[in-house]
Amino acid sequence: MRRASGIFDTSYIQDMTIFRTKYYSAGLAILILFFFILPVFVKDFWLAFISSTAVTVIALQGLNILSGYCGQISIGHTAFMAVGAYSSTILAVQFGLPVGLCMPFGGLGAALIGLLFGLPSLRVKGYYLALTTIAAQYFIIYLIKTPFSEITGGAIALHVPTLKIGSFEFQTETHFYYFVIAMLLLMTFFAKSLMRGHIGRAFVAIRDNDIASEAMGISLYKYKLMAFFIGCFYAGIAGSIWAAYSRVISPDDFTFMGSIWYIGMLIIGGAGSTLGPFFGAVFISALREICVIVGPYISSMIPQIGAQVSASLVEMTFGITIILFLVFEPRGLSHRWEILKESYRLWPFSY
Amino acid sequence: MITFVQLLVSGISVGFIYGLIAVGFVLIYKSSQIFNFAQGEMVMFGAFLVWSFLNLGIAPALAILLVLAVVGLAGYGLERFPLRPMIGQPILATIMITIGIGIFLKGLALLLWSNNIGIKYPDLITEKTISVFSVPISNVTIGIFFFGLILVILLSLFFNHSRTGLHMRAAAESHQLAQSMGIRVTQAIAQSWAIAAIVATLGGFLLGYIRGIDFGLIDIGLVGVAAALVGGLESFKGAILGGVIMGVAQTFTGGYIGYGLKEVVPFLIMVLVLIFKPYGLFGLVKIERV
Repeated sequence: MRRASGIFDTSYIQDMTIFRTKYYSAGLAILILFFFILPVFVKDFWLAFISSTAVTVIALQGLNILSGYCGQISIGHTAFMAVGAYSSTILAVQFGLPVGLCMPFGGLGAALIGLLFGLPSLRVKGYYLALTTIAAQYFIIYLIKTPFSEITGGAIALHVPTLKIGSFEFQTETHFYYFVIAMLLLMTFFAKSLMRGHIGRAFVAIRDNDIASEAMGISLYKYKLMAFFIGCFYAGIAGSIWAAYSRVISPDDFTFMGSIWYIGMLIIGGAGSTLGPFFGAVFISALREICVIVGPYISSMIPQIGAQVSASLVEMTFGITIILFLVFEPRGLSHRWEILKESYRLWPFSY
Repeated sequence: MITFVQLLVSGISVGFIYGLIAVGFVLIYKSSQIFNFAQGEMVMFGAFLVWSFLNLGIAPALAILLVLAVVGLAGYGLERFPLRPMIGQPILATIMITIGIGIFLKGLALLLWSNNIGIKYPDLITEKTISVFSVPISNVTIGIFFFGLILVILLSLFFNHSRTGLHMRAAAESHQLAQSMGIRVTQAIAQSWAIAAIVATLGGFLLGYIRGIDFGLIDIGLVGVAAALVGGLESFKGAILGGVIMGVAQTFTGGYIGYGLKEVVPFLIMVLVLIFKPYGLFGLVKIERV
């Protein structure tokens, strides 16, 4: 990565610093301030949009670690979110623990289940592993629906107690907005730090060639399972936040299509970079909102087409977007962002 | 005992349909090393398309042939865009491109047919129960059994004895070698997509005939994918056998244990097979070099 003119990295520590110049820190401070004062100015609709997108970003950070950095493709991410959501809620309902305290346990539960379904990754990889994660998706949702239906409520919705921290109850959209943004900052920071260290390097080595990295002394057993653990921990945390936010969960919130949406967002945002999940989630959520708004207009203009114009429009644009991105910009929006920054720094000279 | 035989026969006949879908999947994998995750959507889309054409008021056989021609052409076109740029790309990209195609097909189907809920094909043969060795079996089940068997035999004759089939098998072996022998590899891949689309449509039609046409066919199409993995990705007979295993396992769990597990059991079998025999029952064991 190139720095602005006149700034030289003379040590590796400087080279790896996230906030290398004061402009970076100032930019982040301004961004946080912006999100801090935002609820004063905008309606609840936008806060809800930002909150749900932020939950998506947290889940995507996990998928990014698992699939983007470590290359273990998972098409069962929502199932692990479901594990997190259900285990934290059941802890809260059955044992009367506060929901906030249950969240880390939700993440841990999802991580342990993820570890179990990560075991095939030691034997198979690539396409085969992707299919075993599809199996995980169907199996986990089946377990929630049928054998454990007494504590999970089966296919019917399960109600989640109000989120409390100390004696403070999270009631309004604004309260949740602050909570979710804080969690997002924390989880993103954690992911970024983890992926800059030796763990992240081991993950990238395994992604690029697992046999070669094993020959270099990286324990595949340890790091592949670690990737599943961390990735599914994020999914679990995101799931339990989602449960506390939506107050009602049912197995239908965590579908196979949902998992496909997540991996599509990761592709569009750019796999293997911390910024990718942000771009992907915001881009696709915005696209979905636009389709939902535009859909009724189209159906009023052409009444003879089906009743679910919005739904079909959402799916079709998503499918086309994925295809176009893969053909024309396989490295995603975050790569475009890097190019943009680079050319801004060098402007007006392109070299 | 009678239920056992009934379940076995209906399992095998459904299994042949899964086997057909699996053959389409194996074909694409062999010719281009791409996993077609859109197989389920292709099955669903084909089933709906056959329904629309049957409602046009032309002879049923003609309508089905027309649909097969249309999907064959569409499959042929898919190779040009978006699949050709994907050759040599990382696995995540090739998975996502087929998933993108699948999502698009699903959206299109929602747009066209979301008003038609709970539709069924018109009765092409009158259903009655006949007893085979004193076991009552529906003649639709038997019909599908023989239809599936004939299709499988025709497909294997095509691959083993026709010139086009030979080209496709050569392209599957090695793109470079086939090209140097004067075979147009891109055309072979396009043909395999066309055949896969046709086979998926036929599978969708048969499945739709048994259980009605809805979007649940997507999940069932995925069972065909699981069957292909169980059988091993390099082998057509493995694909058929995998399909039969899946079909029988499903009808037995559905008959003796419960409906919920029936949907999941193919994937469980797939995971177990992948853990203990990663390249399937008849797949080639690969030795990887760095």
